Amino acid sequence: MSAQPLTVRSITPPECRSCNSSVPVDEHFCPNCSRIQSLGRHGDYFLFLGLPRKLVIDSQELDRRFRDLSRKFHPDFYYNASPAERLASLERSSYLNDAYRALKQPVSRIEHLLTIEGLPLGKSDEGAAKVPPGLLEDVFALNEELDEIRDLRESGADAATLAARLATARQPIEAKRDEHERALAEASEQWDRQADAPADARRATLESLRQLLLERNYITNLLATIEREAAAHG
Amino acid sequence: MGKVVGIDLGTTNSLVAYVANGGPVVIRDSSGDALVPSTVSVDAAGTVFVGREAQRRLLTDPSRTVYSVKRFMGRGVDDVQGDAHLLPFRVGGEAGGVVRIGVGDKEFTPPEISAFVLRELKRRAEEHFREQGEFDFEVDRAVITVPAYFNDAQRTATRDAGRLAGLEVLRIINEPTAASLAYGLDQKNRGTIAVYDLGGGTFDISILKVEDGVFQVLSTNGDTHLGGDDIDRLLTELVLTELGTAGHGLPPETVQAIRKAAIQAKIDLSSTDEATLAVDRSPGLPDGFTRVVTLQEFETLIRPLVDRTLVPVRQALDDAGLEPGEVDEVVLVGGSTRVPLVRRMVAELFGRPPHSDVNPDEVVAVGAAVQADILISGRREMLLLDVTPLSLGIETMGGVTSKIILRNSTIPASGREMFTTGVDGQTAVDVHVLQGERELATDCRSLARFRLRGIPPMPAGLPRIEVRFQIDANGILSVSAKELRTDIEQAIDVKPSYGLTDAEVERMLIDSFEHAEADFEARLLIEARNEAETIVHATEKSLRRPDFAQLAGREVSPAEVASIEQAVAALKAAIAGTDREGIHAATHALNDATRHLAEVMMNNSVREALAGKSVEDV
Repeated sequence: MSAQPLTVRSITPPECRSCNSSVPVDEHFCPNCSRIQSLGRHGDYFLFLGLPRKLVIDSQELDRRFRDLSRKFHPDFYYNASPAERLASLERSSYLNDAYRALKQPVSRIEHLLTIEGLPLGKSDEGAAKVPPGLLEDVFALNEELDEIRDLRESGADAATLAARLATARQPIEAKRDEHERALAEASEQWDRQADAPADARRATLESLRQLLLERNYITNLLATIEREAAAHG
Repeated sequence: MGKVVGIDLGTTNSLVAYVANGGPVVIRDSSGDALVPSTVSVDAAGTVFVGREAQRRLLTDPSRTVYSVKRFMGRGVDDVQGDAHLLPFRVGGEAGGVVRIGVGDKEFTPPEISAFVLRELKRRAEEHFREQGEFDFEVDRAVITVPAYFNDAQRTATRDAGRLAGLEVLRIINEPTAASLAYGLDQKNRGTIAVYDLGGGTFDISILKVEDGVFQVLSTNGDTHLGGDDIDRLLTELVLTELGTAGHGLPPETVQAIRKAAIQAKIDLSSTDEATLAVDRSPGLPDGFTRVVTLQEFETLIRPLVDRTLVPVRQALDDAGLEPGEVDEVVLVGGSTRVPLVRRMVAELFGRPPHSDVNPDEVVAVGAAVQADILISGRREMLLLDVTPLSLGIETMGGVTSKIILRNSTIPASGREMFTTGVDGQTAVDVHVLQGERELATDCRSLARFRLRGIPPMPAGLPRIEVRFQIDANGILSVSAKELRTDIEQAIDVKPSYGLTDAEVERMLIDSFEHAEADFEARLLIEARNEAETIVHATEKSLRRPDFAQLAGREVSPAEVASIEQAVAALKAAIAGTDREGIHAATHALNDATRHLAEVMMNNSVREALAGKSVEDV
């Protein structure tokens, strides 16, 4: 089976549907006739919200921009508009809601940055499939511990003993998670300082952010495994 | 353009409001009552009664009277088997299809029954505007509220009901959010609000953040099968159980009489420590039934129900990332929040007394009216940003749900998913759309199945079909698809799992236009009957007067009396029929027959009044 080439579509600068003047991709409204613009091929949430591509965000500033843009885009205010404007309002509102949701949380914010910088995390199963090298030891230790706890449970150990063993098993993993949170915060700040840094230095920071996120996802899965074991104790 | 209103289409009661000169107005009847019971009764002649009149008929003609139909909106037959218990009307339909409600020899879908209620509200509003001297009094557009936890099928059914009632549904909005909008009208406050909405049949909790006039819902949760109805049912079942064997197989009108007494006892227990649940003597219950219910006993009975509301409340707080103590205000909505135990338990959970200064019955309709005003005026001071209550997904390999739009996403929201083919040359792909939080498709709500057609024939796995899911500001889904390699837009045939197709709604709409004339006729018939009954009643009263016998001897001939009695009998016969003209003719005939009698009576009263008085006194 031979792969066929993707049909290449020419990328023309977007045009205002109302007055046909050309509109830069980051403009929400036509500079000429001030009508709302259809979304087109937008992909950058930072740009969309008018924020610099940085990882430390003033949460209240984000909230304010979200509210201001909601007031500009929301379908409530396009009830009497043309069908094209109504569709544009629906698209822009939906996209704004996605953008706000993604940038609101630090982790999804980093994920989005990696996506637009060309280093997407991919499907969530990538993190789960193979153990990140930095976590190998912890994973082996946890698995052994969990096996023992399961044996204990099956041989009828009392709930308090099991709970104590689980708490002990959880401790190093939680410590690892906290360590990663700190590392992520540090790498994020480093990214923000590197706006004018050489491309390879920026690339290195992105790579380490990506690695930290993959490990973090893996740690989250480990903690979920412990929770499931705890639930099995009833 | 006609008028625009906001409608609260409730399980038990419905009402309508509008905004004039910046202020909301709730439309009331001549006795000041805003609530229209969401009850519909259809008599053997096909005449439709809505509201209080229909509610009265619950006791006389229960099998032709439908209430709590909101519980059946957007649901399948298989969902509602447990609910049909104790209901006097028939609930049926084909397995896997929409619920059908049987009334006599007719069958209605829940949206059709709801449309009767909406039409009555529309009529009331139009009468109100006409009385206000408005030239343009027709009501043609409305914002209608639904429980926040309603799924796509339930919302769509509500919108269909609006269309069937001849209303353009501008927007479907969530009841707790509407309430917060009404509540926020006079309090220009900011902060976090929890709206606890326990209505007749549904429970909702919404957590909102209010800032700069933007009402942003952070999370919502609920139970579309929990409300005051359930309290009524517990009390009714208590009585039936205590009646023992006699409680089984009681005729529906007696069960309804017990239910009515139970509702009264429930209401009484909101202000007293004990209430008497009294049922008059009824068929199958020759001695009637009386029992004192103490508040303590009542609260023990209903505590499990109130406990059930706290589970969604905790989940909503959790989803909003808040502790109960971080909520600034708690607002109670819905008639069932008058129950003291509900207030107490909500206060305990949040650690603060809830607000009850707004009328819990009217606040939702006011919010709907405010939203309607925002839509048509384009005013931007206030903006409601609601969320979708349930995750939206599709069924993937092995019957697993793959989520595309997560619950509590702000709406409008969109999501996309790539599909491809499994067989060389395959030109169609089937997609099953689901709503819910569970992992397995069979545990989620099936919304629709559709088929992507017209995929260009290619080797398996090569087509890249992007399916776009769009949830609009009503919380209602639409789907579009495109094959990315060829840029060909795909045709989609959506078959709603538990809803009406557009074609079905169109057909019902045509039927209802055809019936519109019949409905108008029915109303005229009711009016003619009422007028006729009034005159029959007055005439019979005159004939029974103690002084009639002496009058009859002196001034009214036996022949005249005979002709009056004949005219009364003729009119009574006409009332029993459905010939409006005939009723009018018989009414006129009776009027003519009694003209002389009326004069005699009048002169007689004047004579009596003047007796013993001199001309000077007069």
